[in-house]
Amino acid sequence: MFGVRCSAFSAAMKIVWRIVDLILGGIFVYAGVIKALDPVQFANDIDNYKMLSWFVTVRLALYLPWLEIFCGLALVFRFLYRGGLSILTALLAVFIGATVAAKLRGLDLTCGCFGHASKNWNFSTHLVLDLLILLAALVLFSRVWRTEKS
Amino acid sequence: MKFRAVREGLLLVALACLPAVGEGVYFRDKISWQSPIPASELVTVDQARSWGDGAIWVDARPDEEFAREHVPGAVSLNEDHWNELLPQFLPNWSPGKKVVVYCSAESCNAARDVAKRLRDEAQLTDVFVLQGGWEEWLKKKK
Repeated sequence: MFGVRCSAFSAAMKIVWRIVDLILGGIFVYAGVIKALDPVQFANDIDNYKMLSWFVTVRLALYLPWLEIFCGLALVFRFLYRGGLSILTALLAVFIGATVAAKLRGLDLTCGCFGHASKNWNFSTHLVLDLLILLAALVLFSRVWRTEKS
Repeated sequence: MKFRAVREGLLLVALACLPAVGEGVYFRDKISWQSPIPASELVTVDQARSWGDGAIWVDARPDEEFAREHVPGAVSLNEDHWNELLPQFLPNWSPGKKVVVYCSAESCNAARDVAKRLRDEAQLTDVFVLQGGWEEWLKKKK
């Protein structure tokens, strides 16, 4: 009886994790597509952080959206899954760090993470959303780690 | 796990280069590769002054800074109150007039962003960003 319950619970959890995969992957594919469609705007958004030279900024604006799309697809299709999850987690951590650093330097900026949809979000909304996404990524990460070990 | 993640990550990093290069080629004429604002969209203080009444000056700085001091005759138009200020600005514009947008200094981005929105959303042509912004205007005023 206990064994049946246990396997039902683990099957349910598998579905939950899969949904988290799809949501997280979907978010990054959407964010990447929006930015890939307007690289000039995304370059301006990166430039607002005042951290990189324009030479680097413009090349990042062309590259990062595609990295997000590929990593998002990796999560959706569970192909190159570990690599995609690692990169997305690292990107999120860097992005949250850059946003907080910009705020501490007194910069009032729009992240442009989701194109026009995020244009009017304030700092707290950005941060809470980013931390939630990071949390989801870390939970998925720990799950993969545990599965590998067992 | 560690090596597999690194291997897969490197593969994804490499894969993303391909469409990025393609996009770079596709947008090569639309992207300003050397500076955030293409040289053709910049104007110096002397040049803008020489346009006289043929130019409208737009102050993209926050309301308080505009209230403190601004270029004589300039109209306030910033992104904080875009929806309220744009309708007030548009009657000042007529075809053939040049628009000179400025913000605090060379390093600010507000003028560039406002100029872009004037081109994209208000469909205005001949929109320029003042090189050096308000700081440069003050220097030249002396």
